[in-house]
Amino acid sequence: MATLTPTAATGACSKPQEMTYVDPARTMRPDEDEAFLANTGLNGPFVADLLSDMLAHERCGAHLYRSVTDRTNNPVLKQRYAHFGAETTRHVEVLESLIAELGGDAGYVSPAARATEKAGIGLLESTFLLAGSVDLLTQELVMLDAVLLAEAKDHANWSCLAGMVDDLPTGDVRDSLEAAVDEVEVQEDEHLRWAQDMRCRMISLQATSGPTSSLALKAEELIARIKGLFD
Amino acid sequence: MAFNPLEQTGIPVDAQFRNWAELNVTPFEKYDVDPYTRTRVILMNGIEVESILFSHQFARHTDNPELKRALATGRRSEAQQQKAVNGLNPGDQTPLETTLGYEQVAVDLTAWLARHEPDPMLKQALDFALLEDFDHLYRYANLYELLYGGKAAAITQHLTEVMPGRPTMLEHRHPYDDVRPHFETHAVDPLSRLHVMTIVAGEQQTMNFYMNHGTDWIEPVARGLYAEIALIEEQHVTHYESLLDPLDSWIANWVFHEYNEVYLYWSMHQQESDRRIKAIWELNCDMEIGQLQVACDFMRRYEGRDPAELLPPALPDEPVTFEPNKDYVRQVLADQIDLRTDGTEYVRVDDLPGDHRYFAYQATVNEGGAPSEQIIDQARTDGGEYRDQTEGDHPVADLRPQQAT
Repeated sequence: MATLTPTAATGACSKPQEMTYVDPARTMRPDEDEAFLANTGLNGPFVADLLSDMLAHERCGAHLYRSVTDRTNNPVLKQRYAHFGAETTRHVEVLESLIAELGGDAGYVSPAARATEKAGIGLLESTFLLAGSVDLLTQELVMLDAVLLAEAKDHANWSCLAGMVDDLPTGDVRDSLEAAVDEVEVQEDEHLRWAQDMRCRMISLQATSGPTSSLALKAEELIARIKGLFD
Repeated sequence: MAFNPLEQTGIPVDAQFRNWAELNVTPFEKYDVDPYTRTRVILMNGIEVESILFSHQFARHTDNPELKRALATGRRSEAQQQKAVNGLNPGDQTPLETTLGYEQVAVDLTAWLARHEPDPMLKQALDFALLEDFDHLYRYANLYELLYGGKAAAITQHLTEVMPGRPTMLEHRHPYDDVRPHFETHAVDPLSRLHVMTIVAGEQQTMNFYMNHGTDWIEPVARGLYAEIALIEEQHVTHYESLLDPLDSWIANWVFHEYNEVYLYWSMHQQESDRRIKAIWELNCDMEIGQLQVACDFMRRYEGRDPAELLPPALPDEPVTFEPNKDYVRQVLADQIDLRTDGTEYVRVDDLPGDHRYFAYQATVNEGGAPSEQIIDQARTDGGEYRDQTEGDHPVADLRPQQAT
């Protein structure tokens, strides 16, 4: 089962930085760090940080999809968010398994992962903290924007990983990475394409739907309009 | 038996509002009260103040009406709880007597947390400030005797020793040297998070109390002493709040605040000897569970996160306990009296270079003398300084009593 929020109880560990202190018992030791992917020609510590970063992004994505699935008023979006959310949760599992197969620790939260998580939190908060100054229709677009931005980075992550695989010599490391990329990359293509298309469609529909201001509509009317947006 | 607040329903927030008579509680008797009942009241008042201030800050960062209304409702209940808790302090307990209670909290809470802290860096942070608050108790005890002829032990009941710690005059540091590295929110032991949140709230309340009560006095030395120690408490808030990881979201912080309040009211309830006040801790614990449930609902709905993902499966086995920590404090005094900070490191004062900013800052603020030393000098010329050393000589030879010169 995927771990969506790593904690001490799930075996989280991290790496100290200038302003981040980590209990020695939960610190990624330099020898462990350097042993990752040793003798493969890859920069093991960097790849460990990268995979942790990708994992953090997928975890944030799973939370984002859960949140927007629950809050959208449009059945088409809800269905798609739920579907992509399930796939994203599966991507978390894929990355956790990949890291373990490569001899790493899926509980490791790298400095890059922390920065990515902060961005993910901000993206998710952007969908609700200012909800009082955004009408319901625009809120749908804000949620879709967050999905698009998250999927853009997600897609870039997996494209990069696919490129790395192409440059690797044959062997176990390449096989493991290739299997993960093969399962996930095609779904990431679909997620990004869908988010781009759907955003365009939503904008076009509103741009061509006449001058009725959403502010003039009652909430129920607005929700009804959102529900039928893609009918 | 393991107590998991997430499995409890508590009192729903919309059923928590009380009338003025319920909030205007009967105070305890200042000389009859168990000193640790007083410290529990002081601590939980500080915890409520922090929860209110946090909620206000959160509210200023959102215009989501559902969220703002929920924060306003929970905050109103917290504000009522604060009135009912702080109202237990009696009117005949002077601000200086309350101050002695605050420093007894600071000593015995900090020492207890340090004794139970699993993380070595966080334990060090607690030990470091412990010796400073310990010294404040000694300075205020001498002010108490000088102004009123009172003995601090009438308040502390000899449960906490009164003698010098790291001298207050030497606690003034350049602001850069109060900033500490923070724990990592994923890897941190859940108990450590609760400890840090508790001590931040406690120190913040102490800072606020001295900020506001420093002008209650006519005597310049009293006003000066409050000003001087209030600034150390501000340093302590900087020191402790640095330990919190800024990565967590607003809603996660809300959940953590409510969870910590549940833990602390549950703790206070376990050990309270006064039946009437014990019932207040129980009531407030149930209220906090209700408030926690609201925060958790928002986390599920807006962050798509199950709170069980980030909260421990149960409260810590051991309640936060007010009890004597004399041996522990003495050991820390003996080992760490000459510790200072240099950036994010703890160092021996002898290892600081002569041109370190610590000495430059000291020279600025202590130019013309420090009230914390003046109060002791006055005490020594007025019959001798006040101490309450129940366990023998001071463990640091240089801090044993001196005669007036």
